[in-house]
This record gives sequence, C-alpha cells and structure tokens, in this order.
Amino acid sequence: MSGVLRDVTVLDLTRQFCAALSAAFLGDFGARVIRLELSPADRSEATGRWNHEADLIHRNKLSVSLNAATPRGREVLAALAAKADVLVTDWQPDELAAIGLDYAGASKQRPDIVFARLSGFGPEGPDKDLPAIDELAAARTGAMPMLPQPGQPPVYTGAGAMHATGQLAFGIVTALLHRMQSGEGQQVDVSLFGANMYGSALDLQAFLAIGHGDRLLNPISRLDVSNPMSGSVYKSADGRWVTLTMPDTDRWWPAFSAIVGLAQDDPRFDTHEKRTAINRPGLIDELEERFARQSAEHWRREFQARQLSADIIEQFDFPANDASAYANRYIIDVDHPSFGAVKTLGFPVWLSNNPAQLDRLAPGTGQHTDQVLHELLGLSRDAIQELTDAGVLS
Amino acid sequence: MSGKALQGVRVIDLTVWFQGPVCAQYLADFGADVIKVERPQGGDQARGVRSIKSLEIGDWNQYFLVINRNKQSMAIDLKKPEGQEILYRLVEKSDVFLTNLSPEMIAGWNLSYEKLSAINPKLVYATNTGYGRFSKVTKPSFDMTVQALTGIMARLGEPGEPPIYLGMGSGDAYGGIMSALGIALALYECRRTGKGQRLDASLYGAQLYLAAPQLQAYLAGNRDSALQHSRRQAANPLWNLYPTSGKWVYICERNEDSRFAALCRALGQPSALLAANFASATKRRDNHEALIAAIEAETLKHGHAELMAAFRTGGITASPINNFADVVRDQQAWQNRYFMKTFCEEVQREVDIRGLPVRLSKTPGEVHSLGPQLGQHTELLMMDLLGYEWEQIEALKAKGAIP
Repeated sequence: MSGVLRDVTVLDLTRQFCAALSAAFLGDFGARVIRLELSPADRSEATGRWNHEADLIHRNKLSVSLNAATPRGREVLAALAAKADVLVTDWQPDELAAIGLDYAGASKQRPDIVFARLSGFGPEGPDKDLPAIDELAAARTGAMPMLPQPGQPPVYTGAGAMHATGQLAFGIVTALLHRMQSGEGQQVDVSLFGANMYGSALDLQAFLAIGHGDRLLNPISRLDVSNPMSGSVYKSADGRWVTLTMPDTDRWWPAFSAIVGLAQDDPRFDTHEKRTAINRPGLIDELEERFARQSAEHWRREFQARQLSADIIEQFDFPANDASAYANRYIIDVDHPSFGAVKTLGFPVWLSNNPAQLDRLAPGTGQHTDQVLHELLGLSRDAIQELTDAGVLS
Repeated sequence: MSGKALQGVRVIDLTVWFQGPVCAQYLADFGADVIKVERPQGGDQARGVRSIKSLEIGDWNQYFLVINRNKQSMAIDLKKPEGQEILYRLVEKSDVFLTNLSPEMIAGWNLSYEKLSAINPKLVYATNTGYGRFSKVTKPSFDMTVQALTGIMARLGEPGEPPIYLGMGSGDAYGGIMSALGIALALYECRRTGKGQRLDASLYGAQLYLAAPQLQAYLAGNRDSALQHSRRQAANPLWNLYPTSGKWVYICERNEDSRFAALCRALGQPSALLAANFASATKRRDNHEALIAAIEAETLKHGHAELMAAFRTGGITASPINNFADVVRDQQAWQNRYFMKTFCEEVQREVDIRGLPVRLSKTPGEVHSLGPQLGQHTELLMMDLLGYEWEQIEALKAKGAIP
C-alpha cells in the first residue's frame, strides 16, 4: 500500500504549529514533504527530553537547510520551487518576496504550483497584513466572551488554529484535484480569522441571521441552559462532571427519566415543551440535585446500559488509555530511537486502501540537504560540497 | 480553464444534523454536484430546528439552509426495496457516497460498502461515525458528548470552574472538514487508479487531533497539560488576557525587554511596572503573578477603545475581545467573503450567511442557492440523471418509495 500523495512534492516553509501540522498531514498520506530551514535557523537546544512537538508537526518530512541570504542560496530555493507541486507557508508576503518565494516568484519557477498560505485575516481587506496569531483572530471572532460561565474571563480555546490545519490541507488537495484535470495551479488561502469562524459555526451563523440576542453575546449559566437534557453539564457526587446531548427529548425521556428517578409521566415534564420551555428551570433544578447523588461512574454505567448520548467529562488520561483510540490509530505506539516506547498522536482520517503512515519522525535540521539536492535537483557530490564550503548549505 | 475545482464530482449526501452536511457543504461550495438524500417524512431532522439557545430562529431556518446550500434534494424511502433500487441507480452515476447514519441502519437498508462498491467499484464510500470505525462503542453520538471524552473541555476555564464546551457544533465542524479532506484524498487516488475505497472520519478522531497541541504534550508525560490554568498565572504576562473598564483585551507580545518597555510606554509608564522585579525576562517570568496583577491594575483604568488606540500608537500587538455583534459588522470578514449575502427563496430576500473559509484564487467557491426543499429534485433527477420514465416514477410513488 502506498500513500495517496506519493507523486506530490511539498515545500514546507512554516513556523507555526498549525501550518507545520498541515504539511505533516500531507506527509502522513504519502507526500514527499521537504521542510526548508533557512539559516540562521532557530536550532532548538537538545534538552535530553523527547521533543514530542517536533515529532508530531514535522513527522514524515525531510529537512533541507540553507542560507537564503546569499544569492546562490536563493538559486537553490528557486530550483527546489521548480520541482515542487505544493508550497505551504505561514510567512508574511514581504518575507516571501525577499527570498523569491512569493507566489510571483514560485510560480515563475513552477507555473502550476499550488501555493498555500496560512494568513492571519485573509488576503483582502485593511487587515490583510496583520500577523497570523491565533489569539488575535480568536479575540476578533466573537465567541470568546460567551464560552465561560457568567462573570468569568473570556476563554481562548486554540480550536481556530486547528481548524486552519484541516482547512489548509483540504484547500491544497482540492487544488491538486483541479490541477489534475486542468493543469492549472493556483493560490490557496486559509486564515486564522476565517477558521475561527467555523470553530464557532452555529452560534455565529445564528447571530448573523437573528441579529440580536443576549444569549448569543454573553455567557449562559449552566443552570440556565436552553435544553436541560442537551448541552448541559451537572456535577456528580464525586465532583466529576457529566454532560448530556439529547436534543430530541421526546425520544430519550422514557429511558432518561428512569435513570434519574423521575416518573416518565411526571406532569411537570411529560412533553418536550414542558421540559425545554415551560418547566425548564424546574427540570434543571431536579437534575442538578439528582446527578449529585451518585458518582460519575454510576452515571456512565446507566448511560451505557440505556445507550444514552451522555457521558463523563474526561481528562486526557481517558483517550491516552482508551483502547478505541488505539484501535482507530488516533493515538499510536511508537518505538522511538532515542526514547524507546512512546505514545504519539496518530491520524484523524482512515482510508482503507491508502491509510496514513508514520514513515519517519522529525528530521534533524539539514539532515536531508545533500540527499534532496542530489536526488531532486541532480547536483553532483562535488557541487554540493562546493556549496557547503561556500556557506550556502548548512 | 479554471471553472470549479470539483466540477464533475457527484456526491450522494445521506447525512443529517451537522457533521455530515457540513462535510458535503465544503465539497458543494467548490462545485461538486451534491445530492442530499432524505427520508420522505420530515427529511433531515435539522429541518425541524426552531430555536437556538432558546432564541426563535426567525422566519428562515439558518441551521439547515446554510450547511445544505448548493445541494439538491431527493426524498427516497430507503426502508423499501424499491427505494433502495433508486439509490443503487444513483450510486452508478456517483463518485462519492457519504453518510453519518448509524451503521446498523445503513446495513439494514442494504447500503453497505460491499453492496455499493459492487455496483460501482470507483465509489468513494465515506462514513462519519461517532467513535471510529474500529471502536466497539455503538451508542448514538453527538458532538458535545464525544468532545467530553477527548479531554479538551476539562482543561479549559479557570481552575474549579465547570469544563467548557468549545461552541455549539464545534466538534461537528471539525469532523466535517476532516471528512471532506479524506474524501478529497480518496478522489485523488481514484482519479489516478480508477479505484474507489472506503474512509471514516469520526467525531472522536477529529477532536483528538483538534487537541493536538496539549494532548501530544500529555502523551509525552506533561500531566499539567490536562488541567485548567488560570489567566492569573500565565507563564508570559505579556501574552495574556486583561480586563479593561469595557471589553477584555488580548495582548500578544514576546517576553523581551524591548516589548515590555513598549508596553509600559503604551500604558503611560506606571511606576508599578517599572519596579526592579520586572526588569528582565527571567524576573518577569519568575514574578509573573505579580506582574499580571500590576498590568491588570493599569488596564482596568481605561476603556478598551482608548487602550487599543494607545497600543496601536505604541506598536503593541493586541485585540479587543469582540462579541458576535462586533464581528458581524467586521469589514475584514465581508471583504474576504467569510460572510456573504445570498438570496433566500423561503423568505424572498437577501440574508447573511457564513461564507467561504477556504479560498482558491482561480477556482473560488461560490454559493448559488441555500438548502433545497425536501424532495425538491426527486422527479427531475430520476428522469434526467437516472433515466426513469414517467410511468415508472408513478409506479414508485404508488409503492411509497418516493413521495
């Protein structure tokens, strides 16, 4: 079996976690991803501890290190661009222009290149040159004030940047599909601003349409939740939280009322209208009191026995020890050459014939410079040595 | 050339609620021909949404209509063998089959991968499960219940506060983009080799990936990354949330002497910040709680607009924490088509919708229609695409396979 993107060469000129991970995702599905480390590179000091972040966001990549401040370094970059199908970057346009790898420069070398950029706020508009910082984009997107309980500070989740990871890879593969049909390359832009908007998709769309509503602008207390049986959280006897997602309460009420010890025909709660509107506060109070009587594990057993869409709010120890996370390769076991048996994040999408693979962990800076220049650019050993001696390669 | 990136790709969208529909929306926005197949009685349950957060949704159902934009709708009763036969004909003419219904339901309707790939070996057969194709958990799954298991929620919020949900539909939205990405990959393979395959993108898998920055640290032994952290203890006080007399602001600066000096200038050189215990990066890190309290005392003296003006003048990277009322007026969002206006048949006027978060310069996405009416295209597609005669359609109606 081989990766879907086995004939695709990607240049990775990224600094940020989310953009680097997007390039790694293409590598997981078989692309040859060449990470460009342009000296002076920020070489991280060896700490003696596992660099778990690099082994996630730079896995399945080759590393080429060169000095882009020299004309000959920029010539090598241009030659690499000529061989590239895709360039992924989160650099600013002026930085890219300075090394000849803006879209104009790259597409001159490779007219059908797919040029994918993560921006802060999109390619148009007055703020197109603001830096790509997810906190700034999230702050501006409107969801942060409404996430916590009333009176608590706004919440930054980081989900917007991770949305950008998926959207950027989707844009790239879609552009490759178009190129396969048409021979045409193009620019792909995904911004942290736009990505954050999809992270808060439903609430934001609701406000766009409705145009008003305190409940979409300010936090809602968990004891004022719109549907006591959906989107709600309750504290169990051992202090752990449980959560319910049963929007269609008519469907679930018979089984649910039984486990919390309410009569199915309790006249206060015997219709959806009564449960979610007329007697909503009363049902919340009942559930708050009843969930506090038993441990979270008790509730999990009950939810499971009745196949209810409800569960305990877990910490990371749960997925880290969850057989299903490993069975699906969402988390994988790796035998690390320096650190032995470790667990690392796996792959979010399963393809039956061309599944994602972990072929290599993060490369050392410049580990593949000679190899790539020889195999991809056809430079001789002598020519590579000469470039190294001249300080162009490092 | 140009045109549309996914022109010529036909997708059978047998999905309900949010994750599956938003996945197909990404494909439809880029020109795929998406046919939403729905049960004749009521269709996708999302058609029944009447309120969000206890607010009436108004005269158009934006929940359903926006994520089902650019699609056609066929109403078919898949419980009936005659209905299944219609779907098989559609499979012959399609590139992708997408569903987020329960595997038992799909098997019961004779729509398994084995069955459909025998009809069309080039078919990309995509499922959106809750917990993953190789999971033993079979209970119904919704976004928040799955998000609860990933550990993302438990680490958000101030210590001692309840866990925090990332936002309504947040996990569905992430599962949706991951599914669209998987489908695009499988289509790429199919175009080259002529072979279809199956794929799965689950809510659980997508949201574990969504937790990547912190979950990977946890897997490497950093137990602390699973826990709630207070903003009052942020490691770098220069990269943190601060209250003002108006909105909160997010300051995003590195812990460097020059940046700290610029921040002090922007805040009017308050003596509390010029103290010796904040005079180096190391000291600011060691005394972070005191420094955060001192900065907060200053920011609280100002409104956010006044503070942002000073930050702009002083070159400090920062943003006010907006709410949705601010963002819907944000020109940056409109100019990049993250928000768009489009005509809504249901109410016969232009409405505001979430637009296109992925921009392709030569084949940009577009929105040509909002979600279809239930079964709006059943007969048309049966005749034009599937080659049924009108008499056959009448016979299928009589049998209840279509309405």
